[in-house]
Amino acid sequence: MSPLLSIRNLTAGYGGASALDGVSLTVAAGETVALLGANGAGKSTLLKALLGLVPARGELRFDGADLGPLATEARVRRGIGYVPEGRRVFPGMSVRDNLEVAGLPAARDRARDVERVFALFPDLAVKSGESAWRLSGGQQQMLSLGRALMGRPRLLLLDEPSLGLSPKLADEVFSAVGRIAAAGTAVLLAEQSAARALAVAPRAVLLRLGRVVGDGPVASLSDEALRGAFFGG
Amino acid sequence: MAAFQLLVNGVALGAAYALVALGFVLVLNATSAVNFAQGDLVMAGGLLAVALAPLIPLPGIVLLPVVLVLMAALGLLMALAAYLPLRRRPPVSVFISTIAVGIILQNGAAILFGPEPRAAPPLFGDDTLHIGGLAVPEQSLAIVAVAALLIGAQQWVFARTQLGRRLRATAQDPEMARACGVPVTAMILVTFAIGAACAGAAGLLLANRYFVTPTSGGDLILKAYIAVTVGGWGSVPGAVVGALLIALFEVGVSSVLSYPVALGALYLTLLAILVLRPQGLFGEAVRRRG
Repeated sequence: MSPLLSIRNLTAGYGGASALDGVSLTVAAGETVALLGANGAGKSTLLKALLGLVPARGELRFDGADLGPLATEARVRRGIGYVPEGRRVFPGMSVRDNLEVAGLPAARDRARDVERVFALFPDLAVKSGESAWRLSGGQQQMLSLGRALMGRPRLLLLDEPSLGLSPKLADEVFSAVGRIAAAGTAVLLAEQSAARALAVAPRAVLLRLGRVVGDGPVASLSDEALRGAFFGG
Repeated sequence: MAAFQLLVNGVALGAAYALVALGFVLVLNATSAVNFAQGDLVMAGGLLAVALAPLIPLPGIVLLPVVLVLMAALGLLMALAAYLPLRRRPPVSVFISTIAVGIILQNGAAILFGPEPRAAPPLFGDDTLHIGGLAVPEQSLAIVAVAALLIGAQQWVFARTQLGRRLRATAQDPEMARACGVPVTAMILVTFAIGAACAGAAGLLLANRYFVTPTSGGDLILKAYIAVTVGGWGSVPGAVVGALLIALFEVGVSSVLSYPVALGALYLTLLAILVLRPQGLFGEAVRRRG
């Protein structure tokens, strides 16, 4: 069976500086993959390149279709959801509007999906009418996650979801990620906290200086390979 | 009695200014670009109403939808020709291209209409209404009502519809809006269309009482700029309130002293606001683009 996401020889960067150098990996439907590496390893750039937010070269296929010629919004409509680093909710919009803006065209579908998100994150239901800037960091992270789910994605790209959160809030967010993955959505999770990521992902891809230096089931990755991805050597 | 009359005049002028400032701030938020042609778009709307009047010899209110549609089309054209090709260039490129559009509109209007002041038809009629001993020009009331209706409709679309959510998301964080599936380029085109339609409506409303000439846009863009600065750069409600305050100030000071003194005092007040409260009256909202 062909993978849901297939990346071949992906190169991307900012200006003249290369941040990804020949990255290849696949993600199967319903699979959760942790993307691990130190700061500057290229995790965020990889997720952005998948969405077309940074210029990239190489082959990107999603559900068999070539993503290369598609604009960001078209990639999202094909079933890719994105939770960016730093949450980036729309601060002047209400919680409900933050969710609805990312929803399907039909109002009835959107209303149903908002209720699903509220069921997953009951805190958001209570704050439904409040402006997003009033939410705590943890609530904003839940809103960002919920917003990404509104397009009914088959693949969810998560960029550092625990960043800036207290351990308790990070646990809550990762528990939600676990539930989303269990419901059948494939997840590509970029995270600096290897322990948290590996707790929800059975497979990991290790990135170092823009290159894949390890890829396989978590059990098969040695401590040495993990340390190498984070600290070099 | 005189004070009430001045108040009505000030609110009517402020309502029309509010439409100018609203269009200005919507484009500013969606593109981070200052549209220096906004005043000339007001002039174009006014002259369009003047040109349509003999073809549709009916009250201005009937011309309004036609002016809105044609001006929206002009806004789209402007975005396609003067914004989209330059959006990834340094901001000064868009800055200059909107000035160029303004000059083209001014010269085009001068060629087509000549320099003489012209008046658009009144919205309903030219009569003066007598309400409880007060004389109120029908046109002033109509300007307030129509501007309130248009601003209310804009607010409703922005607050209650998916198009409005997408427009707001585009204004707040275009990259993230894209990542949420929002067609950002289309939203920017729609914003230019709404901005030009607002300008056109203001042109029609103003061109009856205040007349319109090919160069009358220069004064209006400054008023819009001041309204947005007073209200808080990027704040939509701030722009509307700022426009009303400017008009009341202008009408009030003009009646006691003179129009040139009112204008001078207005710019002095602007300088004072920039020094003492640079974030404007709704400065907090700017940070959040509320």
